[in-house]
Parts: sequence; C-alpha cells; structure tokens
Amino acid sequence: MRDRLIGRRDFMKTTLAGCGGIFLLASEAKGQETKVVDSKGKERKFFYRTLGKTGLKLPVINMGVMNSDNPSLIRAALDSGMVLLDTAHGYMGGRNEETIGSVIKGRSRDSFMIGSKVSLPRDRSTGLYVEGATTDEFLKKLDISLKRLGVDHVEILYHHGVSNKESVVYEPVLKAMEKAKKEGKIRFAGISTHMNEPEVLHATVDSKFYDVVLVAYNFQQKHMPEVRSAIARAAQAGIGVVGMKAIRGGNRQTPTVQSASAALKWVLQDQNVHTIVPGFTAFEEMEMDLAVLENPTLTDEEKRTLLKEASAKNNYCQGCGQCLKQCRDRLPVPDLMRAYMYTYDYRNLVLAQDLLLSLNLPSHPCEDCSACSVKCSVGFNVPAKIRDVIRVKGVPSEFIG
Amino acid sequence: MILGIVGLLWSPAAQAADVRFPSVSGWKQVGEIQTFNPNTLYEYINGGADLYLAYDFEELKVAEYQNGKKASVTVEVYRHRTATHAFGVYSQERVPGANFIDVGVQGYQEVHALNFLSGNTYVKITSFETGPEDQAILLTFAKAVAGNLGGKGAFPSILAGFPGEGKVKNSEKFIARKFLGYPFLHSAFSAEYDVSGRNFRLFIIEGKDQADCRDMVEKYLAQLGMQDKAVAEGQYALSDAYHGEIELHWRGARIWGILDLGDPSLRTKYFRLFEQELEKAK
Repeated sequence: MRDRLIGRRDFMKTTLAGCGGIFLLASEAKGQETKVVDSKGKERKFFYRTLGKTGLKLPVINMGVMNSDNPSLIRAALDSGMVLLDTAHGYMGGRNEETIGSVIKGRSRDSFMIGSKVSLPRDRSTGLYVEGATTDEFLKKLDISLKRLGVDHVEILYHHGVSNKESVVYEPVLKAMEKAKKEGKIRFAGISTHMNEPEVLHATVDSKFYDVVLVAYNFQQKHMPEVRSAIARAAQAGIGVVGMKAIRGGNRQTPTVQSASAALKWVLQDQNVHTIVPGFTAFEEMEMDLAVLENPTLTDEEKRTLLKEASAKNNYCQGCGQCLKQCRDRLPVPDLMRAYMYTYDYRNLVLAQDLLLSLNLPSHPCEDCSACSVKCSVGFNVPAKIRDVIRVKGVPSEFIG
Repeated sequence: MILGIVGLLWSPAAQAADVRFPSVSGWKQVGEIQTFNPNTLYEYINGGADLYLAYDFEELKVAEYQNGKKASVTVEVYRHRTATHAFGVYSQERVPGANFIDVGVQGYQEVHALNFLSGNTYVKITSFETGPEDQAILLTFAKAVAGNLGGKGAFPSILAGFPGEGKVKNSEKFIARKFLGYPFLHSAFSAEYDVSGRNFRLFIIEGKDQADCRDMVEKYLAQLGMQDKAVAEGQYALSDAYHGEIELHWRGARIWGILDLGDPSLRTKYFRLFEQELEKAK
C-alpha cells in the first residue's frame, strides 16, 4: 500500500504543474479599476484594465469589428464607451477597415484606438514564411490599411495569425514593425495567434520584441491550461494581453455556447487578460457585452453552467480540484484526466505517455480500492478513466513515437 | 491493446478534390490540394472565417502553382450553400470602383489578386513574385478556373428591382443575417445611391411569406418602442435611434425601404421607382 501512495513532493509537483488547469479562478479585483463613462448619454460604470507595458487603459471589452459591415453598429459601440476597434488588413478584403474609416472620420483621435493586423505569404502546410515575404511588402500593406482607415497611425499593429515559434521572430516582419514604430505609423507592436498559442506566446516573451499579444482563449479550449499558463507568463513579462474567440471560433471548439456573457466573464476572471475583443454584428449582442463590461463577475449559476458545458463537450477535466481531497491514495486525478484527454481527444500518445511517466505512478494505481471515494463534480467515471489511460504508460515507444 | 491505442492515431486520408484545378501552361501545381470545412476554415483565414461562415460556407479547396522563376499563384475556391450566399460574401468584399472583368458572373482585379463569382462558388486568386506580367497571369488562371467550374450562373434576380437612376454601380449587397444589426430582420439585399451628392440606401427583405414579414414588422416596431401600433401592410415612417429615419413598405412577402434619405420629395420619387422596378422584376 505504502509504495502506491503518491509522495507529497510528487503531489505538489504535479498539481502545481496543473495549476493552469483550474477552471474557475479566485476573483480578485487586482489590476483593474472602474470608470464612469458617458454611454449614449447615460452614465455607466465600466471596468478598465491596463494593457501591460503599453500603459493604455482600456475597457475590459472592446469591439471585434471583423465581420460587421454596419457603420451604425461601430458608431454605437464607440458612443457606448468601447474604445478599441479590432480589425485586420485582410478582413472583408479591406472593406472592414474602410467601414471603420467612415465611422471615425471627424471623431477626435484620442476618443478611439485601432488594432489592425498584417500578414505575409506563408507556406500553406508548414505555416512558415516563404522566401520573398519582405519588409517592404509588410509596410506596403500597413500603408494601405492606414489609408483605408483614414488615420496616420494605429495604436497596435499585429503580426497576424502566427502559429509557430519560427514565424514569431521572422526578421523581415520585425524590421518592418521597428521601422513603422520609428515613423510613428504604429504605437505598439503586437502578434496574434489562434493555433499553437502556447508555443507562440512563449516565443513572443522570449523574443522581447512585442508589446501586445492577441490570443484565442476560451473555456472550451482543450489545451486551455497551457494557454492560460503562457498568458500568465506573457503578462508577467509586461506584455499586454488581448483575448479573442471568447465565445466562438478558433480551433477545437464547438461554435456556440449556452451563455455568451458567461463565456466572456470566464475569460475576464483571468486578470492576466487585459481586454477582450468579441466580434458582434447585432445591437443586442453589443448591449450584452456592455452589461458584462459593467459587471464581469461570474454568478454561481454561470459557474455551474460553464463547468458542465466545458466538461460534457470536451470530454476532459476542468481541474476544479475537488477530487484531490477525496482520493484516498492522493492520486493526481486532474493530471490523469488530462492524459486521458491527450489520448482520446488529441490522439497524441506521446504527450499522454510523457505526462503519465512524469507522474511517477504505480502500474495499477486504483488496485487497492474496492470502491472509489472520488465523486467527480461533472460526473466523470474517474476509476474507469484511470484504468483505461494508465495502460498508455506501458506502450513501447516504437509504437507511439 | 497496443493496436487499439495506436489505432486511435489513424485517420482516413483527405477526400479527393472534386473541384478540378486546371493545368496552366508554364505553371506546375505543387503540393497537395488542401480542403477546409466550416470547422477548419479558421486554420486558413484566421478571424476572416467568421464572415464566410455567416454566408453558409461549405467547403474551400486550395491549390498552389509555381513556375520556373519561383513565382507562385494560389487558387482558392470557396463553395457556399447557394449562389445567393456566394454573391453575398463576394459583395461584401468587392469595391464598387474596382477594375471589373468579365469572368464568371463578375470578377475584379487588383495587384496580386483577382476575385470572381461563379454560381455558388467564390474564387480568389493571389499571386506572388509574378513581376510585370502579374495581371495577365491572374487573368489566365481565372479564365482557366472558371472554365472548369461549369455554368457561371447569374446575379440574384432581385437585384434588377433596384432602380438604375442614381445607383452606385456595383454597390449591391446581400446581407445574410441580422440586417441593420437586428437578428429579427434576417437577410436583405441593399444598394447605395448617390443623387446630386445625396447618399442613401435602398433595401429589400424577402420574407418566407406574409406572416414572416408581419413578424419582422411587429418586432421592429417593438424594438422602437411602438409595440402598440396596429400592424398592417403598408408604409411606415420610423425613427431608429441607431439608424436615424427609415421608411419602409410591407406588402405580401416583401419589405422594402429607404435609409438615410431626408428629402421628402426624393423619398417619394424613389419609393415609386423602387415599387415599379420590383413589380417588373417579379
């Protein structure tokens, strides 16, 4: 029995490693403030955070304009108190930036901020830049974007849609960003990612080049713990963190959620995220976002809904941690459930086996218990999943490498 | 057990391409034809995917070509559920003042890019390092691709209902969802007008039937705080906090209207013109 118990050191090691997997975070108001704003002639108190080292103070929700061709909606968002308009050189073949340009024409330049994005040709299969994706080409696109928008600079220019660490430090783009900064065409250099986000975020921090990251982050991401940890590292390094795809979109997730406002609040519970830019195309969606901007705290009911939804749809544990206290043998159940997810959802046996080996577990961890003391909060059959996944530990590497 | 677990890693090969990408003299198709569906489109066009999904996108096929001088051309064929939806996304991206070309239903060309509409497909061709021959190369590819797509189709017939006088050429759009930012108005066609410097917009919503249109009018009135107003077919002058003054007319399964036109005599004239043209277009 004794050799089957997990040592305290191992327990600490594994649970700490899985910290990012805790689904609901303690709500702390650290790093945010409220500001009374004139919202279409009405006084409303909105939550603001500071976008890392940029020092820009932003409402915690702004507008993702990406698929709105409706100038009235963009105008209403700005008149309601949103400040940052998120767009890209390529959205709607450039019409998106033009629509924004028509709305901001005549508005005071300090009443709004713009984040746009530029990309260069890449190899379709590897995601790496092709020979000839140049600084000049990047700057040419930026100039076109500025012209469409009718401004002489944007607050943030993102290196668009990066999915690997090599592209993060692609020199022609870095040179272009540097030049654009010097010429006053951009205030801050950003990078956006919604694939392999952890790899891109870590490379972004290591590069010491970027001021802002725009990252896909939501409660349904199967690799959410890794994304969260990488976001924390970026925020600690002073990088401004903008969240996207809080409600839908991106990879490996279902297109809809039961409660859009709960999904937004879930992202905002993470104080390392400084603002989010959900896309909306209807006034009622904007009003819902404004309500969250006034009160971003998750209710108990919303927490329960999110936990159930995330677990049911993704077949994986959300790390509520209750099982850690319940398991008689102090097994690192959340990590074992993660290994299960790697095996059956990611279909990545290497990742699953690496994790299982790092846990330093016996071959039959549940053997001594006739009945399981764990009552999973989302109803997983924990012992069955453990019995199933633990087998991966013994698969010879030549079969899974 | 090992075979069972290892079997998890197996996935069927990608389906063979059903779009026939053409052979173009001097160019060689390189790499596999890539296929994206509504769940994977994000991998290819990032946040731009949302727009396509709103227009009932079904599938994208991508082929890449290279020549001996390392220039490359990428051909993307987006297939939508209907020709109207393909027109819709095309209309969201085209610029009224673009360099239009006669390929498919319609196309236009810019430096390093050519887009055209054909039936329920929207084709986007981009080039890289193609030098001074760029425009000719793009056009060659466009014609070859269009030839393989079969019947080119036509613009939605309802567009003929927009009066020609003062219409900004190529400004017609199909908005697939949430017209004017209101989910209850679902889809609409619109066109821009410029009459002696006065800019305004005409629109038409085609409902499923009369009841569908009644529902839309009722919801719109409720949105504007006019839920007590009796709802009947006819003309409505509305004041919308987000859009300003709107005049709309409901008859049968159609609602049409004018946005941003303050001049009453011009409004009357265009209502009459619009009605006449819609009658003709039936």
